[in-house]
Amino acid sequence: MMASPKSQSIDAGGWQRGGAQAVRRRLVERFVSLLCNLATVIVLFVLFSILWTLVTRGAGGLSLPTFLHSTAAPGSGGGLANAIIGSCEQTGLAALIGTPIGMMAGIYLSEFAQDGRIVSLVRFVSDMLLSVPSILVGLFIYLIFVEPAGHFSGMAGTLALAVLFIPIVVRTTEDMLRLVPRAMREAAYALGAPGWRVILNVCLRSARGGIMTGILLALARISGETAPLLFTSLGNLNWSTSLNAPMASLPVTIYQYAGSAYDDWVQMAWTGALLITVAVLATNILARWWLTRNGSAQQ
Amino acid sequence: MNKIIMDDTTGRDTLQPALAIRNLNFWYGSNHALKDISLDFPIHQVTGMIGPSGCGKSTLLRILNRMYDLYPGQRATGEVLFDERNILSPGLDVNVLRSRIGMVFQKPTPFPMSIYDNIAFGVRLHERLSRTEMDQRVEGVLRRVALWNEVKDRLNASAAALSGGQQQRLCIARTIATRPEVILLDEPTSALDPISTARIEELLDELKQEFSIAIVTHNLQQAARCADRVAFFYMGELVEVDTADKMFTAPHAKRTQDYITGRFG
Amino acid sequence: MMELPSTITPGDGAAMDRSARGRLGDLVFGMIARLAGWFILLVMAGIVIVLVSGGWRAFSTFGPGFFTSTAWNPISNHFGAATSIFGTLVTTLIALVFAVPFAFGVAFWLVEMAPPALARFIETAVQLLAAVPSIIFGMWGFFIVVPFMAHYIEPTVTRYLGHVPGIGLLFRGAPYGTGLLSGGLILAIMITPFICSVMTDVFVSIPAVLKESAFGLGATRWEVMRQVVLPWSRQAVMGGIMLGTGRALGETMAVTFVIGNSNRMGWSLFAPGNTIASLIALEFPESAAGSLKLSVLLALGAILMIISFITLACSRIFLQRGTAN
Repeated sequence: MMASPKSQSIDAGGWQRGGAQAVRRRLVERFVSLLCNLATVIVLFVLFSILWTLVTRGAGGLSLPTFLHSTAAPGSGGGLANAIIGSCEQTGLAALIGTPIGMMAGIYLSEFAQDGRIVSLVRFVSDMLLSVPSILVGLFIYLIFVEPAGHFSGMAGTLALAVLFIPIVVRTTEDMLRLVPRAMREAAYALGAPGWRVILNVCLRSARGGIMTGILLALARISGETAPLLFTSLGNLNWSTSLNAPMASLPVTIYQYAGSAYDDWVQMAWTGALLITVAVLATNILARWWLTRNGSAQQ
Repeated sequence: MNKIIMDDTTGRDTLQPALAIRNLNFWYGSNHALKDISLDFPIHQVTGMIGPSGCGKSTLLRILNRMYDLYPGQRATGEVLFDERNILSPGLDVNVLRSRIGMVFQKPTPFPMSIYDNIAFGVRLHERLSRTEMDQRVEGVLRRVALWNEVKDRLNASAAALSGGQQQRLCIARTIATRPEVILLDEPTSALDPISTARIEELLDELKQEFSIAIVTHNLQQAARCADRVAFFYMGELVEVDTADKMFTAPHAKRTQDYITGRFG
Repeated sequence: MMELPSTITPGDGAAMDRSARGRLGDLVFGMIARLAGWFILLVMAGIVIVLVSGGWRAFSTFGPGFFTSTAWNPISNHFGAATSIFGTLVTTLIALVFAVPFAFGVAFWLVEMAPPALARFIETAVQLLAAVPSIIFGMWGFFIVVPFMAHYIEPTVTRYLGHVPGIGLLFRGAPYGTGLLSGGLILAIMITPFICSVMTDVFVSIPAVLKESAFGLGATRWEVMRQVVLPWSRQAVMGGIMLGTGRALGETMAVTFVIGNSNRMGWSLFAPGNTIASLIALEFPESAAGSLKLSVLLALGAILMIISFITLACSRIFLQRGTAN
């Protein structure tokens, strides 16, 4: 048996190489990872604190009347039914209006590169729209829609949400279309298919999963928006599904109730907050699950 | 066939190993990637590792500086002896280990900084040098890899602007600047043109005066040209190890013969 | 998708017909796509025009002094933008001071230290935190953070830092709980997951060999992060931070709950203040159509829009350079 390997180091210090410097480096490394662990724990703690607060304070108001009755004056019971239906109506309609426009604009950005500068301009402006503070969108709709009409309305709220919805869909559609392999496009063109059929039947179909995910995430995002609704659909204490009248929504109701001095309203605000958070998080989880499932199915 | 055919005519006992692997097993998750490997890397020699893709030669190389630590689910048993210690033991300072066993990768990997800083980066980790000492160290290693004349006027330029061959020589310079005892090279020329490849091979011949070298290569000619000893791996096993001359003229094992004559791989 | 029989034996007329139909289809489809694109330009132009023209009266009434005046008097019709611009910038700055280190810490932990199964779980948790509607942060801040600040943090900080010369000025005053610091903290909590997601994506996308080379020289994780990964991804990280900044600048609901809503400007971070967005949310319902006050709010909206566009432009420049790397 041969000798075990021995150090051949010239003067570099063998295992003691680096000396005090090595010790210091190890300490710095330890310290930094400690800080990182701490940061993670704190961020998770905040997340769980928010969820915990929502559940403990909001669950008390979860009862059938909450879903069946409309909002009512303090002390006289009441539920959130009109706010829930109002939120669903405005969000859903905004998505219906926004999806085709957003998808077509996304297609424009990804497939009509021949338009050159205008395409980059639209892309830049769409990104701007994505980052416009949502309260400004509310102001905008108020000035062009509510003021001329003379009254607040569910339609105005819907339009405000649609303006927020569209740029998200544009971004997703463009990103997803870019992922479609060039070979697939070329194969379709090689069969003699006209451009629009290639885009609609081949590209969109293969990007379907990703775009659906994007739309779901956008839906979750606008369903929690409060600021753009304050000056557009305003809120309504009574049951109303008319787009031509002020309309209640969960976020605005939460806003009005949470700031009030009445315990039962505050309780109802927590319940509404719990409902909307659960809905938003569930949609997010669903969208992510959808993406991973479709993503793996394609491979 | 599982018995490793050891070369017993080169005076194995007289060659002091820089690194000695004893009964090494390695798993990627549940995949048993290396099976009971024992192998010596003699001091001041170039040890070549050859074998078909997926035979475990690169895996072995990445064990020698504990690169596998970076990835979860990878696990090694057995011993790798270096300077009287088992480098697989958990208490070992991997940062010191990696400064003593340097590594050069398949593709050149210049850091996003200047040529000078690329070399100074590794040195600064382990040593406190004055400005003049550092200048000398940088110049010295750049001369060693025959890059000094090409870059001396633009040491502060980004390393990304160098050609592929220059980048790879810079990476070798960066590695030897930390004054390692062993250098591991993982197919260092596979991304380079023939001229750059020839220069790197010449360089290896010089570097072995000072360092012990382990090189993984796909290129059998390269192994024949550069290596003193060659180890042949197949399906996670070490089939045969011998001097390069013998390996390519009179291999013992049938599988080695088949591989070097191009029957598979 | 394809009518196979007709491709095999196309009559002359049929082939002509098909190509004409295809061309018409392309034409119509192209028009619709272009209209959708132009619609976006139209909406953006509309927002800009409406805000600027609506705010014009305020700009012309008060002149450049509008930006430096801290007045807010609906009765004498004197308004200034300084306080709310100040509040917007200060809360955003506080948010960044807290959010960037935390986001970096979590991203670093996720990419380099976390066991993979746990990392996936926590990454999802962080992304979910980013999806929580802002009004929830506001409520939680109002009912949980504000009392906590008022009872514990602010008195303690005042006791220890209030007497330090210089920075002591920042931490004096009555511990209301609501105020610029609380607003900044809530914003920090809101944008941390956002910045963290960008950082995680960027850190993951660095070529493995580059990191391995640095580790191969004996660098520690922190040294690799600081000297290789961060320089490599600096631009993209900055872009992510700027995007987070944009969110903080324009956030309304979360801030409105905790900022205290007072038109005062001073050194103390504990003092109630306001931001452009919170001021609009609170004052708009009390502004009559056609009033000067409404015009002032629209002018503030225009200012907010310009600030957030500048931020966006910076983030675009950074992100583009980052991907060009």
